[in-house]
Amino acid sequence: MGKIHTKKLFVKALNKKFGKDFDLSGTKTTYERLGPEQNARKREFIEAAKKLEGKRGISFYNPMLHCGGVPMGQRQLVPYKLSTTEYIVEGDDLHFVNNPAMQQMWDDIRRTIVVGLDMAHEVLEKRLGKEVTPETINNYLEILNHAMPGAAVVQEHMVETHPALVDDCNVRMFTGDDDLADEIDDQYLIDINKLFPAEQAEELKAAMGKTSWQAIHIPTIVSRTCDGGTTSRWSAMQLSMTFIDAYNMCAGEAAVADLAFAAKHAAVIQMGDMLPARRARGPNEPGGVSFGFMADMVQTSRTKPWDPPQVSLNVVAAGTMLYDQIWLGSYMSGGVGFTQYATAAYTNDVLDDFSYYGCDYAVDKYGGWAEAPIDIETAKDCATETTLYAMEQYEAFPTLLEDHFGGSQRSGIMAAASGVTTGCITGNSQMALAAWYLSHLIHKEGWGRMGFFGYDLQDQCGPTNVFSYQPDEGSPLEIRGPNYPNYAMNVGHQGEYAGISSAAHAGRGDAYACNPLIKVCFANPALLFTWDDIRKGYGMGGAREFRAAGERSLVMPAV
Amino acid sequence: MAYKPQYYPGNTSIGANRRKHMSGDLEKLRDISDADIVAIMGHRAPGADYPSTHPPLAEMGEPDCPVRQLVTPTPGAAAGDRIRYSQFTDSMYNAPAIPYWRSYWGAINCRGCDPGTLSGRQIIEARERDIEEYTKVQMDSEMTDPALATMRGCTVHGHSLRLDEDGMMFDMLARTELGSDGNVYYAKDQVGIPLDKKINAGKPMSEAETAKRTTIFRCDNISFGGPCTAESRSFDEGLVALHHMWERRSKWGFRPE
Repeated sequence: MGKIHTKKLFVKALNKKFGKDFDLSGTKTTYERLGPEQNARKREFIEAAKKLEGKRGISFYNPMLHCGGVPMGQRQLVPYKLSTTEYIVEGDDLHFVNNPAMQQMWDDIRRTIVVGLDMAHEVLEKRLGKEVTPETINNYLEILNHAMPGAAVVQEHMVETHPALVDDCNVRMFTGDDDLADEIDDQYLIDINKLFPAEQAEELKAAMGKTSWQAIHIPTIVSRTCDGGTTSRWSAMQLSMTFIDAYNMCAGEAAVADLAFAAKHAAVIQMGDMLPARRARGPNEPGGVSFGFMADMVQTSRTKPWDPPQVSLNVVAAGTMLYDQIWLGSYMSGGVGFTQYATAAYTNDVLDDFSYYGCDYAVDKYGGWAEAPIDIETAKDCATETTLYAMEQYEAFPTLLEDHFGGSQRSGIMAAASGVTTGCITGNSQMALAAWYLSHLIHKEGWGRMGFFGYDLQDQCGPTNVFSYQPDEGSPLEIRGPNYPNYAMNVGHQGEYAGISSAAHAGRGDAYACNPLIKVCFANPALLFTWDDIRKGYGMGGAREFRAAGERSLVMPAV
Repeated sequence: MAYKPQYYPGNTSIGANRRKHMSGDLEKLRDISDADIVAIMGHRAPGADYPSTHPPLAEMGEPDCPVRQLVTPTPGAAAGDRIRYSQFTDSMYNAPAIPYWRSYWGAINCRGCDPGTLSGRQIIEARERDIEEYTKVQMDSEMTDPALATMRGCTVHGHSLRLDEDGMMFDMLARTELGSDGNVYYAKDQVGIPLDKKINAGKPMSEAETAKRTTIFRCDNISFGGPCTAESRSFDEGLVALHHMWERRSKWGFRPE
C-alpha cells in the first residue's frame, strides 16, 4: 500500500503567486478586471512600445485592441516560480524571445557536434606514416582552439572573427582510455573520471572503449546566423586546417580529403537528424533531436543520480522548451501560444509534486527504483494512482486548476508524472510510455475533456504504438523523436517523452539513456547553459541574470 | 429482442447523466425563443433569410446514387444552407455538460453535424438551420446551466477558472451577466458583439442541482477513483471499462492480428 503523500510542493508556489494568506481552496473569487497595467512586465511592454512607435512610424504593441477594445488582462496575471528554485518570474520572461538562457540552451545544442579522432589518427599514422602522440594531440587541440572560433591557420593572416564575439567557442576531447586521458592537458579534456560518479564513469568508458572524441562547440553567433547544418561544415573546415598545421601536412594532398570526409561524415555525430523535405531542416535542428539524445544532453543524471524523478523533470524542462516553445511553437507554427504548454511542465512545482507522489507510492509498493515488474499491470497501477491523485489536486486547489488553465497542460502534466513514475519504478521506457497513454485516457474519461482536437487524437490512438514493432510505429522511446509520425505535430508531448525516456534510465542508475558520447559531450564545463539544472537556467534568464553568447553589441553603436 | 443501446456503465448519478446526454433523453428546463437563439449565435439576423452556398438539392439534378437514396438530407442540406456553428464553454465546477459528452450527444442525436472537442470548449458545426435547432436543444435542456455554460465562439477562457462571486463562470468578454431578477442574460453574442437587447437565458441552477445534474466526476461530488486516497480506492465502472480498453488497445499494437 502506498503511503499518503503530503508534500503538495505546489502550495508554496501558489502562495507566492496568489499571496501568502490566500485561500487556495476557494472556488470563487472577485475578478477585478485590472487590465494589462496590473502587471509590471506588461507595463514595461506598453512603455517600450510607446517609445518605439514614433521611431518605427507604424502602429505597434497595444493590448487594448481585442474584440472591439476590451483590454487584455481581465483575469489576474500571476507570476511563475521555476520549479525547485527560488526564481519567480513573469510569464513573459519565459517566452524564449525574452529569455536569453533559453536561447542559449538551444544554441548550445545547435552549435555542438561530436567528431571522432580515431579515424583521423589512423589516416595520419597508417596512410601518411605520421606519429600521433599525446603531445601531438595537445598541440593539435591548442591550434584547434585558435582556429575553431574563426581564426586563420596554414594560410597567411586572413580575415578572422573578433575573439570577443566568439569566446564561447571551444573544443575539448574525451576518451574511454584513461592512460591517454592522463596525458591530455587539463584545459582540453572533458574528464569523465572527475565529472561523473565512479560507476557512471566506468559505464561510459566501457561503452566507448578506447575511442577518442572531440566535443566541438562552434561560436554561437555562427549558428545563430546560419543554421544547425552549418555546425559540421564550420567545424570540418577548421579541423582540416588544424590537422594540416599540427601534423605538417601538404595543404593539397589527398589525405586531407579523408580527414575532411571523416570530419563531415564518417566520424560525425550530429545532435539532430536531418528532416524530410516536408519539414525541410538540416541536421542539428530541433526536429531531429531524438528523445534519447535530449535525455543525454541534460546533466542532472550525473549531478543528482540519487534522485531519478529530478533527473527526469529536468529533461522534461529541457525538452518542453526546445520542442514546444522553439520547434513546434516557432519553427513549425509561429506565434506565442506554445510557451504556456511548456511552462506548465517546469514551473510552480506541479509536475514535481505529481511525479514525487507517484514515485513515493510506487517505491513504497514495489520496493525501490527499477524494481517493479516490467509488465502492463505496473503501468496500469502507477498511471491510475498518479493520475487520480493529480486530478484530485486540481479539484482541491482551484488556483492550481487555474494555473494550468488548459486541458492540454493538465493532460501533459498528469501523463508525464505517470510516465516518470512508471519509468523510474520499472526502468523500462516502453512501460512508462504505456502509463503515459493510460493517464490521458483516465483524464479524458473522468472529466470529459482532455486537450484539443489533434492532441486528443494522438493520445487516444497512442496505446497501439507502445509495443508495436512495425517500422513506422515501433521504436524504443529513446530513438523516437519529434518527427516520429504520430508525434510530429503535437505540442505538450515531446519534452515529456524525452523526460519519460530518461526516467527509465535514471531509475536504473544508468549513466546515459541513449548515447554515451552525447552525455559526456554535454558535461563540458565550458558550455554556457546550466545543463545540470535546467529550471535554474530558465530562472536566471527570466530574472535577467544570464549572459548569453552570440551578441553583436561589441561591433554596434551603443543603444 | 430489439437492441437497446446502453451507452455508458456505472450506477452513479454521473453514469446516469452521461447516459441521458448520449441517448438524447434530456429534460427540457426552459424555452428560449428561436429568435433569441439565433441572435446569440450571431450568424444571421433573426428573421433574415438563410444565406445559401448552393441551390436546394431538389433543383440541382442530383446524380443517381445509392447513398443519396438511402440518406435523407437534413433540412439545412436540402435547402443549401451554409455551414455554421455554436460553441459552448462548460465550467469544471459541475457544469451539467462536458465537452466529450456534448460531442457524443451531437454525434448520436444530431444528423449531419460535425462535433469538435477541446478542453475549454466544444463546437458543433452543421447546416445553418440544423445547427440552430441543435443549439436550441442544448440551451433549453438540462445540458446547460446558464451560469456555468456559455455560448462562446472565441476568447473562451474560463472553464477552469474560479467562479465569480455571483457564481458565474469567468468570461473575459462578459457575454453574460446575472440580472437583478436572478436570471442570466446574454448581453453579447457568441463572438462578443453587443446584442440589441439582453436575452434571458434562464435562472442558474443551485449548487445542489448542478451536483445532481453534472456529468463530470469530481472528488467533492462523485469521485472517479473512489475515496480520494491511495489507501481506499474503489474505481468507478467507467474506469474499470477504460482499463480494459487501454489494455486491449496496447496489446493489439504488439500483435495486430
